[in-house]
Amino acid sequence: MERHQNRETRTPRNNVVVHRRRKSKSYRLSYRSGLGAADSRLGWSPALTARRLNTSRKAAGISNIAERVDPGQLALLVKTEWQLSYVTPLHQFRHTQLKSYARQLSAFIAAGKQQGLAVEVEGLQTTFRVSFSLVQGMTQSDEDAESVLVQIHSKRLFARQDEPQKPVWSGWLTCINGNPDYLRALPKDFVCLPLFGCSGADGLSALVKSWFQQSFDCCFGLLEISHTSLQWLMALWTNCHAESGIQHLKMIWTLPAAPPLQVTYTEAGENYIDIEEVTSFMQGLKSHFYRHFRLDLSAGSLNQVSTALGSAKYSGRMKISNSRYMITTLTLLTECALLKMPI
Amino acid sequence: MAATLSLTGPPDLDLSSASDLSVSSRSSNRSLRVAEKERKKKKAEDPFVLALKYFSDVEAGTPVNGNDEVERNMVLVEKLAYSKGLSPEAISIMLEFAMSLRMGTSLCARVLKCLIPATLVPQEAVVRAVVWLSVGKIPVSTQILFIKWVLTVFDMIDAKDQLRAVYGFIFNFVTEENLCPFICHLLYLLTRKESVRVFRVRKLLELQSRLGRQPFLLSLLSLYKVFCPEMVMLSIPSRIKSGFRNHNMPWKSALIAVQKGAGPHVAAGISPASTTIKTNPRKRKRCHLELPVMTSVVSKEAQTEPSSCGKVVPLVQLHSFAQLLENMHRIELPAQMGSLLGSSLALQYLDCVQDESALLRLNFWLGYALHEEFLFCGDRGASQNSQEALPFLDRLLSTQHFLQEGFSCSEAFLYKFLNVWDGSLLRPQILGLLSNIPVVPSAQIRQLLFEPLMQLFFTSSLFFKCGLMECLNNMLLKWLTWHSVYALEDDLDISLNSHTSINMTLSGFKDSVMELVDFVGRLASLGLQLEGCHSLLLSFVLDFYETVCDMFMKYGLPLVVMPPPGVFYPALFATDPVSVDRLAYIMHRYKVNFTSAKSQEELTKQAFHISRQMVREFNHYIIVMVNCLWNSKMFQLDMGLSLGEDLLLKSKVPQYWASFDLVHHPAFMSYAVDFHHRQNENKMVPASKRYTSNQCATS
Repeated sequence: MERHQNRETRTPRNNVVVHRRRKSKSYRLSYRSGLGAADSRLGWSPALTARRLNTSRKAAGISNIAERVDPGQLALLVKTEWQLSYVTPLHQFRHTQLKSYARQLSAFIAAGKQQGLAVEVEGLQTTFRVSFSLVQGMTQSDEDAESVLVQIHSKRLFARQDEPQKPVWSGWLTCINGNPDYLRALPKDFVCLPLFGCSGADGLSALVKSWFQQSFDCCFGLLEISHTSLQWLMALWTNCHAESGIQHLKMIWTLPAAPPLQVTYTEAGENYIDIEEVTSFMQGLKSHFYRHFRLDLSAGSLNQVSTALGSAKYSGRMKISNSRYMITTLTLLTECALLKMPI
Repeated sequence: MAATLSLTGPPDLDLSSASDLSVSSRSSNRSLRVAEKERKKKKAEDPFVLALKYFSDVEAGTPVNGNDEVERNMVLVEKLAYSKGLSPEAISIMLEFAMSLRMGTSLCARVLKCLIPATLVPQEAVVRAVVWLSVGKIPVSTQILFIKWVLTVFDMIDAKDQLRAVYGFIFNFVTEENLCPFICHLLYLLTRKESVRVFRVRKLLELQSRLGRQPFLLSLLSLYKVFCPEMVMLSIPSRIKSGFRNHNMPWKSALIAVQKGAGPHVAAGISPASTTIKTNPRKRKRCHLELPVMTSVVSKEAQTEPSSCGKVVPLVQLHSFAQLLENMHRIELPAQMGSLLGSSLALQYLDCVQDESALLRLNFWLGYALHEEFLFCGDRGASQNSQEALPFLDRLLSTQHFLQEGFSCSEAFLYKFLNVWDGSLLRPQILGLLSNIPVVPSAQIRQLLFEPLMQLFFTSSLFFKCGLMECLNNMLLKWLTWHSVYALEDDLDISLNSHTSINMTLSGFKDSVMELVDFVGRLASLGLQLEGCHSLLLSFVLDFYETVCDMFMKYGLPLVVMPPPGVFYPALFATDPVSVDRLAYIMHRYKVNFTSAKSQEELTKQAFHISRQMVREFNHYIIVMVNCLWNSKMFQLDMGLSLGEDLLLKSKVPQYWASFDLVHHPAFMSYAVDFHHRQNENKMVPASKRYTSNQCATS
């Protein structure tokens, strides 16, 4: 029993000065202070995360974004279906350096495209032209960083010399009404633009993402639009029907049956907004299907929602058809992206 | 068509056997024929054969949406294609079905993607498909997919003569903008001297003047020049290496997999079509566990602020500790902080600079990787492949040990992951990460830690229980060490983790430790009951209490918590002497701690900060131990465990009150027997020394 006796024992001496490693103010501290006392540093744990999900939202307010945002940019944002991703905060990203970023990215793409090219041809011009631009007027709160639009133009292979270059890829980074506590807690040299949408060839998307990763030390992950968020979107969009005259609401479920079964439900819009109302609507729908088709929709998953105002899929594809409700939609999606942040 | 499908067996056996049928062998052949019939019948019922029959017979314009039959058959074909590959006949049928667009364009691409040949590709099928290329209204992307497929399986096409015969036909597609590079590649593979014609050279040159010097055109032209130098006057750069881009072909990896499975007899066919195509199986899509390569920051423009120290040294250029020390003041962090994980030198630097945003970058990357791999993978089943996850977590663990603290992102990750963990996936690594988490405030500890752990504990095996006990012991040890290192002079404010600086009051810290010890007490009591006081589990539990009993002396934490009866009594009545011995040691250490606390109280005239309740509990346990082991006074009324007098009498154990004393305790039985032998030995020594030594050896 003497085996432990030789271990050093130490009695606490209250008046002895214990030197502690003095560290500069750590990020956790500053980060935490932003979160407020209630959430403390564990604010991103699942249980508390659930609490951070809003259970009530304002009805889609009409923001006259069309007056503030450049119509060309707005048209691009509206007409395209975007594949969404979440992005961790960008380190050392400067909105003033966009020109130089455009140069770097086009060089990066040219280098990437030439990989696997066995033939070396002198004077092979870079066929890709990259442009970075600010989307001014998109932000809602003071904490939001300005959105950035990236476009890649390319000359068609068989085009004549004088034919203008065509856009082949476009993408944007945005943050609309991001959680102010989270944004404020980040150190100054980070820019948080958590929502990334892109449309174009997958190869180019991958190249752009890896350039961002290497330049700003960020990570891109697929942003799936969850069941709940889809229902929210549906609620937000259908509530606007008085304004824009919604013709139909379409929902697609996938049920785990063999063979795979898709249920499509289409109907004219209704008027609800609270989560209770959404839930009760869904409940009614489910019991309707069960009564008439012996189908339990809750066994499946809601995959897609589309209305005249836009469509969203579980896989993270999203299209906004009307610029007037863009801000509302992007606010919700920004919230989804922030929920995916690792810390 | 289905009748001619002989996928496996020899061609029509019963026809040949019928022709030379002799009377004598008829009876024996009959049984053969029956068996053969059976076999054929079975084959006809083979779902795959039926599926092929479906695809060869299906009428044009059959709807796809909601058509379960086509879906089912398609899945069958795909399954076989990816596991074993398709026979030449199957390839013919499926290719014909796809290219004729009998059921629309969406199925066409899907079929093309699964056309993985097991052995050969019949030439006729490819020629027919090429014809369809100009007849049908196939979308451009699918046309490209088809040509890519031909390029991939080119070496497996059984003959090329007919394809060469339609060279001119194929050449026509060169004017299609999107197809051009791929068609050039195909032509490159098919070109013979006789196919080089003036009008073709002219066409290519015309294209080149429009497109610029595109590599695929140049390659084809250079080949033409090799065959007919007089026709191609173009000067082709001498450095040119003939070759085409390795298009990211979706079949490559599947093809390799199929051929690996099929063994060596078919492997000969799969040398790539062109010499420059590398066998580059499609890269896995999920690569978030790969450490980024350490590179210095690329964009110099990004750092416009004038750096006072002049030249900076990228971390990647440092190779020794001495270099690190020399350049300490002007080191530049790499572009991607994730790359630090791979280098201990970089970690040294990180530990010493304490750069807030550098750490945050590392945490973002690490957290992203953990989340994507284990939480967001969903049905993609990413967590199944532990070949990558295991070394990744091991590296993370060794990094944390190196830095002697956990990353905040792994902590945040664990709180989520514990809720979905099955308790067996990468158990040592996850428990290792868990033991590294810093002190959790007592208000949240239950929800974040205890609830998920409790569920896992009670539903898992003995080994998980032992592992968890060890993990919680390590966790407590780390908390206590942090406390003793970072305790501030006023003993009120302690910083538990150099990176996190959670400012926690001493009482807050004590609450957390108390919660943890209580929790382990509850787990241990119930666990020991569930596992029948398994001595392995008991040993891990006692390990934990060896840490707990010395909290005051070793770590300066004015807190003493006694083990619950559910731990104390199983240890006291254990059947192995080690457990009882360790319990005695633990009680001894408790006593030392109590007396030390008491004497300190007298010295500093401070209020005694150890609860009286604990002292009472301790005294009670001591009385029980002494009564039981020493005084032979088991089952006295004040002992905490009471049994009815009549019950004890009924058991007919003689002198039941002495059955757990030092002499009769089951744990010490072997010592008692040993003692007895020695007594015997002593008695017998005068009689016969040899005899007793023999007996001792046998007993």
